[in-house]
Amino acid sequence: MAVSVGYVSREATSNLWRNRMMTVAAVLTVAVSLALVGSALLLKQGAAHATERWQQGVNVVVFVNAGASHSQFSSVGRQLHQLPYVKSCVARSQAWDYAEARSIEPAEVFQALTPAITPSSWRCALNQPSEAALIVQQFAGKPGVEHVASPSAQIRTMETVIHVLQWAFLAVAAVLLLSASVLILNTIRMAIFARRREVSVMKLVGATNWFIRLPFMAEGLVQGLLGSLVAVLVVLGLYFGFLDQTKTAANQSSLIVQMSLGATEVTVTCIVVLVVGVLAGVIGSALAVRRFLDV
Amino acid sequence: MIQFENVTKTYKGSTVALRNCSVDIDKGEFVFLVGPSGSGKTTFIRLLLREELPDSGRIWEAGREIGKLPKWRIPYLRRNIGCVFQDFRLLPTKSVFENVAFALEVIGRPKHVINTQVPQVLDLVGLSKKRDNLPGELSGGEQQRVAIARAFVNRPLILLADEPTGNLDPTTSLGIMRLLDRINRTGTTVVIATHDAGMVDQMRRRVIELDRGVLVRDQARGVYGLDGSVSAAGAGSPTGLPIETSTNNEPDGPMAAEA
Ligand SMILES: Nc1ncnc2c1ncn2[C@@H]1O[C@H](COP(=O)(O)OP(=O)(O)OP(=O)(O)O)[C@@H](O)[C@H]1O
Ligand SMILES: [Mg+2]
Repeated sequence: MAVSVGYVSREATSNLWRNRMMTVAAVLTVAVSLALVGSALLLKQGAAHATERWQQGVNVVVFVNAGASHSQFSSVGRQLHQLPYVKSCVARSQAWDYAEARSIEPAEVFQALTPAITPSSWRCALNQPSEAALIVQQFAGKPGVEHVASPSAQIRTMETVIHVLQWAFLAVAAVLLLSASVLILNTIRMAIFARRREVSVMKLVGATNWFIRLPFMAEGLVQGLLGSLVAVLVVLGLYFGFLDQTKTAANQSSLIVQMSLGATEVTVTCIVVLVVGVLAGVIGSALAVRRFLDV
Repeated sequence: MIQFENVTKTYKGSTVALRNCSVDIDKGEFVFLVGPSGSGKTTFIRLLLREELPDSGRIWEAGREIGKLPKWRIPYLRRNIGCVFQDFRLLPTKSVFENVAFALEVIGRPKHVINTQVPQVLDLVGLSKKRDNLPGELSGGEQQRVAIARAFVNRPLILLADEPTGNLDPTTSLGIMRLLDRINRTGTTVVIATHDAGMVDQMRRRVIELDRGVLVRDQARGVYGLDGSVSAAGAGSPTGLPIETSTNNEPDGPMAAEA
């Protein structure tokens, strides 16, 4: 026997309305927790983007003394190659560095350089930019090494902050999501209690178990869905407010720009938020139905 | 239609509610289930509704052994069984019509079926004029008629009643019994658990008596109690009709049926 969609939605709506205070509380909790989940996801993806950009742009550069011997130069290279967190390492000649300096250094600095005194260098790509500090520690002051250039401490701090923030968001979101499920469970429990007469009559006259359960399940689903829709609005607000790629023109160097996300990533985030919200609702109501609806 | 074979039911707490009970009720029979409080009448009915399972023994209903029924089939079994109770169990926020229609709605019957069957059954129980009243606006007897209409609207094979007149005065009770009798005449098997001695004595239908879970009497055209207790019940007969003392007190075979 098919359970009619009309019947289920009618019953679920009237239940939701009867318990509207609890429903609002449950929906808001779902919304807040999922907004945090969404933000954490955006942050995570943004951080991944930013990191990727830093990794492409800023490698660790170990400058070897201009006067160093060829064997000193290659010994530094060998040591760099042996490090587990170094992904790749390329040698640059004095001439190459001189050419690069010409293009990036201000005129006063460049004019003081000649090809002969421009140091040659090793350019290393790392598995993680945060490991740059280790290279600086190990190689600064080694014989033959003139200077180790690494991503600035500021950027590294930023990365740590984002990392911590992201986990804090997820932790708070997990706790809130749990309480959201419990709230949904409780509203369903109250709905079941309010309808215990109907339920006992339904059992008596032979309504199937799913016919009795579905309106309550649908009620939980709607609560989860409403909450996650609010959360999706928050995520979209964040996206269009801060992380939208189309705003990159404004300030090329800002962190926000480096974190900018594509539409696909935001869409995926929204879908994740919706699915998690619906799951929270369905799981909460399924538990309530199992526990309190004796069918 | 209903067959108990050596059924024993023990509740946790080791109360034996039914002890090795065997009984046969044919299609179309009208049976009173009597016995003192705690003798197992409600248990008998709950077993038939498969709200409980027996500890041992087997129960058949409409040709099926209900102990073997998988859980998901239970609702379909209950669609063949109507049941009414002492406390009516109507939904207070629904009108008479809606209360009866609810029984069809929740088993997925289409609107047009509801709109033809509900008025028919309301007519049968004599409540066509009160179809839009709420249960709270009805007398106890009228509420019980609504409950009977709800139990009967799906044309069940069996109608069970657990003390249907327990809350009603004698005249009203008689009306309810007549209604159940009329339903019985449509071919529905009717089983009534009752304390109402006068009614049982008056109706002269098959009587099954339980005592502390044991089936002690099964009698066609029986009375509420035997001998002395008959006249006692008769003296208190609320309807004031003369009570004939039964001349045939031997328990009839399980196949005995009211013609
Ligand atoms: N759910 C239950 N749990 C434990 N014991 C029960 C339960 N239901 C009934 N009993 C016990 O089983 C015995 C039979 O009870 P039952 O309700 O069948 O009697 P009854 O004949 O319907 O009595 P009454 O005429 O008072 O309604 C009683 O001793 C009762 O205490
Ligand atoms: Mg009882």
